[in-house]
Amino acid sequence: MPVWEVLGKRKAGDEFELVGGIKAPDVEMALVLARETHFRHKEGVGYAVRRRGDHELHVGSYGGDVLGGVTDHSYRRQEAYTGVGARQKRISAEFAKRGVTIDRPRPPVRTGG
Amino acid sequence: MAGEMTYEQKVAEFKARIDAGDKIEGGDWMPDEYRQAALKFIEMHANSEVMGALPEGTWIPRAPTLKRKLSLTAKVQDEVGHGQILYRVAEDLGKTREQMFDDLVNGRTKFHNVFHYPADTWGDVAYIGWLIDGAALVNQKALLDASYMPYVRAMRRICPEESLHLRHGEELVLELVSGTPEQRELFQDAVNRWWQPTMHFFGPPSKKKDMLLYWGIKTRTNESLRQEFFSTYVPKLWDLGISVPDDRLAWNEEKGEWDWSEPDWDEFWKVVRGDGPMTHVRLSKRKAVWDTHAWIREVFAGIPDAA
Repeated sequence: MPVWEVLGKRKAGDEFELVGGIKAPDVEMALVLARETHFRHKEGVGYAVRRRGDHELHVGSYGGDVLGGVTDHSYRRQEAYTGVGARQKRISAEFAKRGVTIDRPRPPVRTGG
Repeated sequence: MAGEMTYEQKVAEFKARIDAGDKIEGGDWMPDEYRQAALKFIEMHANSEVMGALPEGTWIPRAPTLKRKLSLTAKVQDEVGHGQILYRVAEDLGKTREQMFDDLVNGRTKFHNVFHYPADTWGDVAYIGWLIDGAALVNQKALLDASYMPYVRAMRRICPEESLHLRHGEELVLELVSGTPEQRELFQDAVNRWWQPTMHFFGPPSKKKDMLLYWGIKTRTNESLRQEFFSTYVPKLWDLGISVPDDRLAWNEEKGEWDWSEPDWDEFWKVVRGDGPMTHVRLSKRKAVWDTHAWIREVFAGIPDAA
């Protein structure tokens, strides 16, 4: 089955950039798989496939406004979790007041995560 | 001229490229040992993504709210998608996806130790989402600088999704630890059971000559990754009043690293050799689907090439 390179544009005005690859029997299926595997989370505003070894670029028809879905799929994206870090700090501060936290030697500067 | 070089000279030149920070593309010449090491590593990663979908997947029907069901479904879809992306990368190193999957479901290749364990409670789902994905993200962020460029591209795709999963898991944990005593206990119990597998996840201390490090397929030792995991997550657990089952675990100011207790490595080797508590159940599930859905693959592969 042919291998297709998947290319994407992160924002309008960008050039197409190689982001990965998929295997598909034809260009139509290649575009479907490229969209589902690489742009499901609104990772870009444009996508295309190019059969390995060919120069011809097949640009997908979904624009930035619909790529990644038009219904509420926010649970698939970081924006659905805005405030989780702040909540963690609030709860930790509250637990510290209540003496629930565990006081053990730890690095002087905490890293993120 | 490359064509006139001996194999050893080509290998030396290739190694010099890696040491200089150059990236290797799929079509580039590479020594057999590099190709094999990269294939084995990426195949195992792909296997782990596909098998890792199962412990959480079983909780989709039992998720406590629609919101949790949606986010857990999306996460499981992502994990399987990572498997697809990684199998594609591995295929270019010389093994077909069909052969890789056949080897996986028949127990001939490995997947990460943590996915051999049961996810018994919703506390386990929270633990996996935050701390197993957290451990995976520590590993995967280090791979963004790996020498094999197609793998780096896959990591650029995968790491942002793992960061999202981490937030999903962290939110689940916060809800449990700030809830009822029973909810807190649910999470504490998950930490107690999952801690040793999590220590195993980073592997034993790296050998002096680790071929994956030598070739830049991995960029950091197991020990440095485990230390980063401690620094990132243990203080947060302690701040939430959650203990970890290792009395020795503490930051050693003098050494500038964490002291910790070595886990039972015999258990680790037993599990990665394919004898974990859920190994056979999970492989048989995957094998049943692989076997009964063969006709779909055949139909798909038989579509005339219209391109």
